[in-house]
Parts: sequence; C-alpha cells; structure tokens
Amino acid sequence: MTNHQPSPAGPETEIAKQDAMTSLELRQIQKSYGAYHALRGIDLDVEQGEFIVMVGPSGCGKSTLLKTIAGLETISSGQILINGRDVSHTEPGERGIAMVFQSYALYPHMTVAENMGFGLRMAHRPKDEIDAAVMRAAKILRITDQLDKRPKQLSGGQRQRVAIGRAITRSPDVFLFDEPLSNLDAALRTQMRVELSSLHAKLGATMVYVTHDQVEAMTMASRIVVLNHGSIEQVGSPLELYRNPANLFVAGFLGAPRMNFFEVIVDSVSGRRATVSTAGLVPLAVELTDGASVQKGDRLTMGVRPENVNLASNPAAATFSGQVRLVEHLGRETILYVDAGSLQCVSSESGTGNVTVQIGHVTGVSNDTTIGLGIAPRDVYLFSSGDGRTISARKSILAD
Amino acid sequence: MTNLWRRHRWWLTPTLLIMPAAILFAVVILASSVESLWISLHEWDGFGPMRWIGFDNYRELFNDPQFYVSLKNNVIWLVMFMLAPPLGLAIALLVNQKIRGMRFLKSLFFIPLVLASVAVGVVFSWVYTPQFGLLAIIFRFFGATAPAVLSDEHFVTFAVVTAALWPQTAFCMVLYLAGLNNLSEDLIGAGRVDGAKGWNMLRHIVLPQLTQVTFIAIAVTVVGALRSFDIISVMTSGGPFGSSSVLAYQMFEQSIFSYRFGYGAAIASILFVIMAVFIVWYLTRIIRAEERGA
Repeated sequence: MTNHQPSPAGPETEIAKQDAMTSLELRQIQKSYGAYHALRGIDLDVEQGEFIVMVGPSGCGKSTLLKTIAGLETISSGQILINGRDVSHTEPGERGIAMVFQSYALYPHMTVAENMGFGLRMAHRPKDEIDAAVMRAAKILRITDQLDKRPKQLSGGQRQRVAIGRAITRSPDVFLFDEPLSNLDAALRTQMRVELSSLHAKLGATMVYVTHDQVEAMTMASRIVVLNHGSIEQVGSPLELYRNPANLFVAGFLGAPRMNFFEVIVDSVSGRRATVSTAGLVPLAVELTDGASVQKGDRLTMGVRPENVNLASNPAAATFSGQVRLVEHLGRETILYVDAGSLQCVSSESGTGNVTVQIGHVTGVSNDTTIGLGIAPRDVYLFSSGDGRTISARKSILAD
Repeated sequence: MTNLWRRHRWWLTPTLLIMPAAILFAVVILASSVESLWISLHEWDGFGPMRWIGFDNYRELFNDPQFYVSLKNNVIWLVMFMLAPPLGLAIALLVNQKIRGMRFLKSLFFIPLVLASVAVGVVFSWVYTPQFGLLAIIFRFFGATAPAVLSDEHFVTFAVVTAALWPQTAFCMVLYLAGLNNLSEDLIGAGRVDGAKGWNMLRHIVLPQLTQVTFIAIAVTVVGALRSFDIISVMTSGGPFGSSSVLAYQMFEQSIFSYRFGYGAAIASILFVIMAVFIVWYLTRIIRAEERGA
C-alpha cells in the first residue's frame, strides 16, 4: 500500500503547504465504451481550494468524468494528477479523494459513526484518531447526536450530511460530489446549497461538483465547466460564462428562462459593426467582437436574454411587436410568452416559437394583449451558424 | 349489496386474497400434521383398524438404538451441510468474475441443479465403486486401495452427505449469484473510495448486503439436511445395517416396509419438533433483523 493517507490534522496546515498549487490536473482524458466516446479529450487544471462545478445535459459525460477522477471508472487514455502525483491508474482509496454519491451510498449495516470512520479504519488508523476525526466532522455538520443511529433511521437531509461527513473525515485532497442534492426536496436543497458553500469556505478544500442544476452551478462555483457530448464547451466563473458565453450551447444552457434565439441575415457590414435583420424585426447594428468577421448575406443566430427584452414606452421605440400568449406572474417579476408573428424564436423554451420576455412586475398585460417590445443592439449576442461560436457578446453596462 | 361491500371491503379484500393459500396450507400442512400426531398415538398397519396405545410408540422409539443412529446421522448431515453456503458463496464469487470463458464454467456449476437427486445418487454410487469408480482410480494413482465407502459403517454417511452436498452447493451458488447481481454499485464505489479491497471489501461491504441471501441459504440447507431421504434410498437404502439411515428414512422404512404407520408417525413427529425448533429460531432472527431495520 502506498501510504498516501492525507493527515486529518486540519485543513489549515494543508493549505499552507500546498499554497497556489494545482490540486487536480486532467490531461487529455478520453473514455470510450467500444465505439461510443463518453469523454473526448478533457483538459482541466483545478487550483487548490477551488469549487469547480461541472454542468451539462444528461449524457454529456459529467458523471463519467467525476468517476474517472475518483478511479471508479478507468480511463482509455490521458492522465490524472492530484497534487502533482499521477494517479491515473491508482486505486480509488489511494488517490486522496473522497466522494459523495447521489444515492448517499451509506453502509446500511453500520452506524453513522462507523460509516464516517470506515475510510480511516481501512487505512489502519488508531482508534482515538478515528474517533477524533469523526467527532470533528460531526461537529462541523451538527450531527453529533446522530452518531449511534443507522442510516435507515435518518431523513434524506441527515443522510446527506452523513455522506458529506464521511468525506470530511478522510480529509481528502479533493472532494468529489455527484449530484448530491438531487434527491432532496426543493427547500432542503436550497438550504444544503448554502451550507455546502459555507463548508467549502470553512474547509478551503478543493471540490469538484457535478450537477445538472444551473442554479447550483451559478451560486456555488468558483468556476463552472460546461460539458457537452464528452467535451468541455467552456470553463470560467459563473458571471463570465453568463455574460460572455463562448458559443451558442453555453449561451443556451446557462440562464433561466433560456435565451431567445433568432435566425438573422447580415444586411451590411461597416467597420466593426454589422447590421442584422429578419422578418418582423427592425434592423439592429451590432458591434462585433475582435477577430470576428462576417460578410453581407451571412446567416447568423442572434441571441437575446429574456431580461434584455423590454416593454417599449411608445410604438416608435419598439423593434418588434406581438401578442401575449401566456403571462406568468412570479411576484417580483413577470414572464411573458409573446407570439411575434413572423419573428419566430428557434427552439425556444415556450416551444412554439414564442419570444420569452422577463420584466418587472406589470399589471394590465393579459393574454392576447398586443404589445411593442424593444431590443437594444448592445444587448444582442451573435453566433455563427456553422460552429455556433460567439461573434458578438452583450456589452455589459457594468464593467467588471 | 354494493353498500354492504363498500362498508366491509377493508377486511373482505385481504381475506379473500389470503383465503386460497390459507385453505391449501390448512389442508395440506396443518391437517396432515395433526393427523400424523394422532396416528403416532396408535398401532396401525396402514390398512386395518387403528388401536390406541397412547405414548407406547414414543417409549419404544426412545429405547430403539436405530433411532439414535439416525439422529446422530441427521446431526452429521446438518453439520456437513453447513459447508454448502460458504462453498456456494466462494464459487459464486469466482464465476461472477468477468473473465473470458467464465460463462461456460458457470454453466458447468449449474449442472447438478438440473439433475434429479436420484441421478446424483447413482452417479456418486459409481464414483464410490471400489473396482472402477473415480475414487478408486484416484487412490490407485497414489498407489493405495480405495475403501469401499458405501459398505463401511464409519464412512458411509460422510460419503452420502458428500454426494448430497454437490447439488446443495450449486443451489447456494445460484442464490448468491442472484444476490451478487443485486449489489449496490454505489456502495461498492463508496467502499473502494474508502480504501476497502479484497477481504475487507467482502467482509464489510459485500457480505452485509448478502445477509438476506445467507439467511435463505442457511434455512434451505438446514431443511434439506433434516429431510434428506431420496439420495440415501438410492445409494445405501440406509445400510449397511441401518448405519446410514436418518430420521426421514427410518420413518419411511418403518411405515412402508414394516407396516408400522404408528411408529413411523412417531418418528415424523420427533422430526417435526426438531424442525420447528429451528424454524422458530430462524423466524425470530428474521423478525428481529427487520425491526432493527437492517
């Protein structure tokens, strides 16, 4: 046994030791099942203390990637380094990781304390050291009164705490979370989300977290990794990804309600500005990002977030108009699904080509009301039709 | 009518659903058991009138040396049969590996299950034959002479139990194979992350998930050991001189060959009591385990 059991001495000393060190490194990870490529060359560097959230639609490979980091799945090619040590072919128990499973995966025949101490017991740690580590983790998670119970006697939220506690007890170099909150009800999920964030702040440990819930991704991540079809689409901070999506996929994946997409044609190009239009929409002159080049007649996809579509104060200010098909009052804000005639949304959330509009609380708008709506050119995203790359992003008013 | 049904269906529905099984159980198991007990208090040749003799059959039984030979053999059966669950588990773990050719090997281990135990008895009789049997060939290879195990009163029961262990082990293997297929992948994963490997993985993660299977395997094996009959009938007919007989066989022999149905019924009653003790112990353990929530 290569004696790599991280010391449970407390995270502070570890941080000092590993300051500014790359905690987890993935190099060209490939995983294929026969002809099916689940992971197609994943490269990622995770710094010590980062909270990385991997998101993507079902089947994008995010869970497979997490399992390869854990060592529960072998990789077809590539390299995995944890704290600079190549663990690509190391047993899961010797990688210095701990994992929290979606199903909690608590050992049903062991008490909570035995569950939490099992990893250290397997590492032949002395009993008082195990007890101390279990007690420390139980205190952090406030489950000291549950230690003698069995998993069956606990509620879903308590089981989740025990599963997290079991990970903490091992003092791993990297925590891995596989959709840990998806079995909890909505209220508990919100609460656990906050607790996990503060736990991360408290432990300062490196965490890799897989979810399909973009709210979890946006709220918890120091950096988000967006995966699709076994490849990384983009890596960046939540706001970076929200404001400057690298492509159509990321733009459509992050943000709720989803971004509106329209097929547009380039009418003219002058300098860094392209004028785009489509039936039912007043032409918009949009500034392009550096390095992007378009030509007159090019077909592009235009994206506008629902919160950037405004009610026009007067008909002259409207860039398009339509009839309201559905109104959703959420209290502080209102979401309108607008049938804009010939201006049809591509694969919009409302499904029927309606434009989604998110505005503050309004009254007097009901079904079949005809309204004028405005889109400002600076709020528009443009994506090339071929590869979906972003060629113009929203010019945020708040520079950051 | 409909109102009557609606008011009473909370108890009528379960009663109606349980009724067929309850009636069958009452007629086939309960009534026959009670009648057996009743017969055991009589002298009866199976045809003529029954004569009440009270506990005379039991008195005779407790003074019958053959009864103690049979009882001792039942204990040997019981103890040796307890090898079947661990052996079955070991083979199940072996053939459950994802190795090329393992499916073929697995099907070989299945064979004794499809054989009638009479056939198993015949096959093993040949194995034990002193002139040309497999055992004789093995002994000859080492330059020794094989004992005639089936005609030696000291070896005969062990030889018969060994034969009976073959299908019993295969049965336990099938139970464990089914159990192994139902292991939680996440629990195994959690165990691997926690550093459990090899024996520790088996002991702390796999076996606890197979507790229910083990319960069933032990129960079936105990019952199988206590009611062993057909393979003895084929291989030795209880011989030589009743030295391989067990309670079930002695009961059969007394009733059918000696026309002593009353005496046979007394043996059956004793066997029933032994089984009942075990079954009560077994059921209490299961109920307690369920209450614990394990």
